[in-house]
Amino acid sequence: MPILKDFHYHAPAGVDEALGILRKSEKSLVLAGGTFVLNTLKKTTVYPTDVIGLRKIAQLHGIRDTAKETAIGSMTTLAEVVSSPVIREHFMVLADAAARVATTPLRHMATLGGNVASRFFWVDLPAVLMALGGKAAWSGVKTKKTLTIEDFLVLTGREAKGILTEIVLPKSGLTGVYFRHTQSIEVDVPIVAMAFAARRQAGAAKDVRCIVNTTLSRPVRLAGTASYFETKKIEEWRAEEAAEALRGDLQQSKLDGYRLHCLCADLESLIDKFKQT
Amino acid sequence: MKSVTLDVNGKVFCLDVPDGELLIETLRDRLGLLGTKYSCLEGDCGVCTVLADGKNVLSCLMLTVEAEGRKITTIEGLAQESLHPIQQAFIDEGAVQCGFCTPGMILAAKSLLDSCPLPTKEEIAHALDGNLCRCTGYVRIIDAVLSAAQKMKKTP
Repeated sequence: MPILKDFHYHAPAGVDEALGILRKSEKSLVLAGGTFVLNTLKKTTVYPTDVIGLRKIAQLHGIRDTAKETAIGSMTTLAEVVSSPVIREHFMVLADAAARVATTPLRHMATLGGNVASRFFWVDLPAVLMALGGKAAWSGVKTKKTLTIEDFLVLTGREAKGILTEIVLPKSGLTGVYFRHTQSIEVDVPIVAMAFAARRQAGAAKDVRCIVNTTLSRPVRLAGTASYFETKKIEEWRAEEAAEALRGDLQQSKLDGYRLHCLCADLESLIDKFKQT
Repeated sequence: MKSVTLDVNGKVFCLDVPDGELLIETLRDRLGLLGTKYSCLEGDCGVCTVLADGKNVLSCLMLTVEAEGRKITTIEGLAQESLHPIQQAFIDEGAVQCGFCTPGMILAAKSLLDSCPLPTKEEIAHALDGNLCRCTGYVRIIDAVLSAAQKMKKTP
């Protein structure tokens, strides 16, 4: 007996062709690396009639680098993100985070676009991309637009029907750190994670972004914690004070004590790291 | 149904397969390549590992129609006139007990050694993180990959 029920598989050669199929089909599904979608199809009762594979769309592959920004095609695999010299030079925190996602064979298959467009709460990379100020180039069935990662993640219904073509990261000179905690072993999905990015300037941190992936909801931007780090010189940063700001930011988040404890420990490591570098 | 042309272990196969057929089904049930195992079917265990263009991937998470245009290698395609050095090292080091995970382990090791000929123990453990073994405790598997790396260095 086949593992998957049958559907009509399409392999468009371009984004417009893919959008044309999406517009026509009522029950369609977009397939990137397959590690989420094919697993979902093994369990779902809501089955698509059409599956649109993006593998043959050349435009969605590869990394384009300019002086001001780096655009990562949505079909770039996580392994390619990890090993890209451009990403390692300018966005090391993204390479680090991608290297810790799942396992080696899954990183050979899973794509950056799939990780973001899955909109699963527990995936690693949206928080990191938010910290880096990433934008999502979105070709929807209605319009084409560029969205912040936050705005992209909240698209629903027909608005969410389309193709994520690339992620654009501005070269802002940010230094980033990513922390993730799992229930038992490293390759598990995270139970809580934090992405932090800031620009060092004259002993202080500017343009601070502190994003928590609670894994209970979409990533949360911690405005109070970021403000704490921006208003003090780096040598004056104190873990207890930063933790107080973090608790204030996460008051409504329903995080349990253990997850909060993990995040407070992360703040300590983060402060140490920034003081050392 | 789709007509696909697959390159598996250096041989070309022209097949008609349902659009939703997974590569593992095609390899085992149509081509009789039984070294690729069914187990979790969720991408957790690694026993369905094959190489696609030299990279270890999971055949339970790949549609056969998406394997077209890639060079697929299964465990049956590894040995040439004699066993591949990684296969021989698994025997020599006693890295096999029940053997169910072994094809996936060996292919993951092949992918690693092709890109990193002399890995450390940590690099091997990281590269094999997608392959579970319930018998050996991994120590002898890692020793076998280290040993294979040394042998392959001597006989390129």
